[in-house]
Amino acid sequence: MTNFFKKMSNKFIGQSIKRVEDKRFITGKGRYTDDIVLPGMLHAHFVRSPYAHARVVSIDMTEAQAMPGVIAIYTGDDVKDLNGVPCGWQVNFRNGETMREPKHPMLIATGDTAKHAGDPVAIVIAESKAIATDAAESVQIEWDELPAVANPAEALKPGAPKVHEQFPDNTAFDWSLGNPIEEVDAAMAAAAHVTTLEFVNQRVVPNAMEPRAYIGAYDEVSDKYTLYTSTQNPHLIRLLMCAFVLGIPEHKVRVVGPDVGGGFGSKIYHYTEEALVTWASKQLSQPVKWTSDRSEAFLLDAHGRDHVTKAEMGFDADGNVMGLRIKTVANMGAYLSTFAPAVPTYLHGTLLQGLYVTPKINIDMTCVFTHTVAVDAYRGAGRPEATYLLERLMDLAALEMGRDPAELRFQNFIPKFDGVTEPGYQTQVALQYDSGDYHPVLERGLEMLGYADFRAAQKEAAKTNKLLGVGFSTYVEACGIAPSAVVGALGARAGLYESAQVRVQPTGKVSVFTGSHSHGQGHETTFVQVVADKLGIPMEDVDLVHGDSDALAFGMGTYGSRSLAVGGSAIIKSIDKVLEKGAKIAAHKLECAEGDLEYAEGKWTVKGTDKSIGFGDVALTAYVPHVYPAGLEPGLDFSSFYDPANFTYPFGCHIAVVEVDRETGKTTLKRMIAVDDVGNVINPMIVDGQIHGGLAQGIGQAMFEGTIYDENAQLTNGTYMDYCMPRADDLPMFETDRRTTPCPHNPLGVKGAGEAGAIGSTPSVVNAVIDALWSGGHQVKDILMPMTPERVWRAMNN
Amino acid sequence: MDLTGSHTLNAPVATVWAMLMDTDILARIVPGITRLEKTAENEYLAIAEIKLGPVSGAFTGTLSLSDIRQNEGYTLHVKQNSKIGNADATVSIALNALDDAQTEISFNGNARLSGLLARTGQRVISGVATTLTKQFFANFEQELATDPATHS
Repeated sequence: MTNFFKKMSNKFIGQSIKRVEDKRFITGKGRYTDDIVLPGMLHAHFVRSPYAHARVVSIDMTEAQAMPGVIAIYTGDDVKDLNGVPCGWQVNFRNGETMREPKHPMLIATGDTAKHAGDPVAIVIAESKAIATDAAESVQIEWDELPAVANPAEALKPGAPKVHEQFPDNTAFDWSLGNPIEEVDAAMAAAAHVTTLEFVNQRVVPNAMEPRAYIGAYDEVSDKYTLYTSTQNPHLIRLLMCAFVLGIPEHKVRVVGPDVGGGFGSKIYHYTEEALVTWASKQLSQPVKWTSDRSEAFLLDAHGRDHVTKAEMGFDADGNVMGLRIKTVANMGAYLSTFAPAVPTYLHGTLLQGLYVTPKINIDMTCVFTHTVAVDAYRGAGRPEATYLLERLMDLAALEMGRDPAELRFQNFIPKFDGVTEPGYQTQVALQYDSGDYHPVLERGLEMLGYADFRAAQKEAAKTNKLLGVGFSTYVEACGIAPSAVVGALGARAGLYESAQVRVQPTGKVSVFTGSHSHGQGHETTFVQVVADKLGIPMEDVDLVHGDSDALAFGMGTYGSRSLAVGGSAIIKSIDKVLEKGAKIAAHKLECAEGDLEYAEGKWTVKGTDKSIGFGDVALTAYVPHVYPAGLEPGLDFSSFYDPANFTYPFGCHIAVVEVDRETGKTTLKRMIAVDDVGNVINPMIVDGQIHGGLAQGIGQAMFEGTIYDENAQLTNGTYMDYCMPRADDLPMFETDRRTTPCPHNPLGVKGAGEAGAIGSTPSVVNAVIDALWSGGHQVKDILMPMTPERVWRAMNN
Repeated sequence: MDLTGSHTLNAPVATVWAMLMDTDILARIVPGITRLEKTAENEYLAIAEIKLGPVSGAFTGTLSLSDIRQNEGYTLHVKQNSKIGNADATVSIALNALDDAQTEISFNGNARLSGLLARTGQRVISGVATTLTKQFFANFEQELATDPATHS
């Protein structure tokens, strides 16, 4: 494939152009779903289960129904005919048994059981949110509380409370990947050193700044529905809601995802509230809005991570990795969310090669139901868990073997491959990496760190009460999700291509329609930079349209760092078609052969002459085709679908430096270095911003964040008073740099940068604390995340 | 959430026991309680106004006593449902006569919280519970001091 970077003027690409969308965001002009007010709009509030597991004995709505302003209350009995929220990915048991997929009902009906705290029982619709809330609190429900389990490892034990009666072992499916276990066992048995680590990758809450919000609006006259939704993928929601839940025809439904304030994965999924407000708007012939409050966001937005793992890495006497054996239990929550089965399997198990030439790898995964809200993709989705596993093992192995952790990595890195002159790298766990050059990112990281000086300073610090530690993490991830045939073979129930339409208006202005959705990623800037450069026109002449199913042909949305790699590639395909047709028109106007033309700086020029015609003139000719090539259709407007040939594989090196107070156990993150290779970069400032945000979330998991469930599976830290988020003063100034290994299989050579920060950083921070403790003589293998001062202190004093 | 603690009162065990079994006195000395109605033998309806950190409201609950052993103790079961969640507590209360004039009262139990109550910071709530306990014993002592004769 031609590399488009090489044949372009690149006036905008590669420039840190300020985000055009920021003007409206920072002046309070963003228009989010909750900002939208429709005539006659009603407001919904949900009655939810206070218990993690309880049977609805009876529901008494008498008092609530009598309250002035209450329009309707619907319970599970009213929506029995509706299907459950579907799961979008099917991963079957090892033995071929079908994945267990319990129905995720819209509302828990009388006689049925709520499966997690917050499971909805009724929707109360009233003239105002306040009335709906008051009325919902007046609905009397008699509950029969049942035992509950939140911890995935506990859920597998005999006698554990059952989430679904029909699946008494609480197992959704089990799965394995890699080399046959006998081969891995043999490799481990032959190893000179085996590093074993049992750890928990704890459950975290996504905490998007904008809580979820939906407005369902049914119009009797046109018999059409409109759903405004804080989603990352409007078309996907339309497909799931129409075809699987409500059974209404897709062409009668418009789904709009207006400005959306962050998603981090949690807004990919189709939630029951979305379908219910849409359904209710038809029952009442009035729009119905629901906006989650922060407490509901903690309780109900799909959570992330939640793995319990035992991992072993075997080395020969020279320190070469010989084998990797993993046993993991992953929490699915009570119901299978849209992408949930894919996250611990095909987005996690497939990344366990990491950057290393490990010849034998096997992962044994069990995915279990618990009485908790669903766990699904959260920034990085499976890849942070894989990176955490590998990179923790690598640093610990170095400590145990008395090796330098950087040297141990250099020794085991997969050698450089560009994926063009030589094939990609075939891993032991199904994937073929597209291109990679791993030494430079670690070399640059060490240079930025000043490694030799650091080790000297660490020795000095070990004599004091403030220990110093450094932690490394060198990661690879799979982005640009995903080649449809591949994911189809792996159980995806959808293709993961993207669509784009480039509509050149008669005046030469350009409207670009993309199925990608921007909710913080800066597409309105980055995509426009690409289009303006490729067409040689000013950025002001290009407008990006996204987030409206009526405006766009189709779209698979934004997740898995896919927007530019897949959505951007679809745009390039459409631009190529525009330029191809434009050349025909230009040749006709200039009375020359198409082959004699070249396109640059917004005009077609007859090679070697000064005869040319501008992009705008060609556009006008296409729409006013008075002097026009015979047989050519008027218009200049092209749609394309792009299905990627492979995932993209960004990689990088994250290095954390911490100071640990021996007396209090308090960890201070002193430095955070990130050298990422995300392929070609369109807007360095936006990439830096994405890396920064990801780092903050990754560090948040290492040091601050994590759900705490009590023995009744109640989330006990569901507020910002109790759930610790990273704050600016917890973080050092990030030191970032880049290396560039272009993606060989998409036209922009881009790999994706949305998740890298959250993928690489977490293990580097934990490794740094462990390193600090070892420097002080505490040979600790693991500290449970988040590494609170108490946990660090106990690690030193046990 | 665990509920444990103990306190020594300057009163003979029989006095303390009598006070613990007197709904009028309990309604006066239990912090937040505005009304305590007897609904059946050893069963009561309690109405309380409590502010627990960010959570406040009127709570209606049922109290029941079991395992009643005169001058030794009983098990208190509290069940409370409210707009902000439910609480279900079982606390065993034990009296120990240190001498003729001093009684140690100790309690040991567990509260199960659900709904908003559960996720709005059990740390805060347990802090509040400690404060309420201190207040209860302070009120107890004050009640004893006000008119010790009525309790002897």
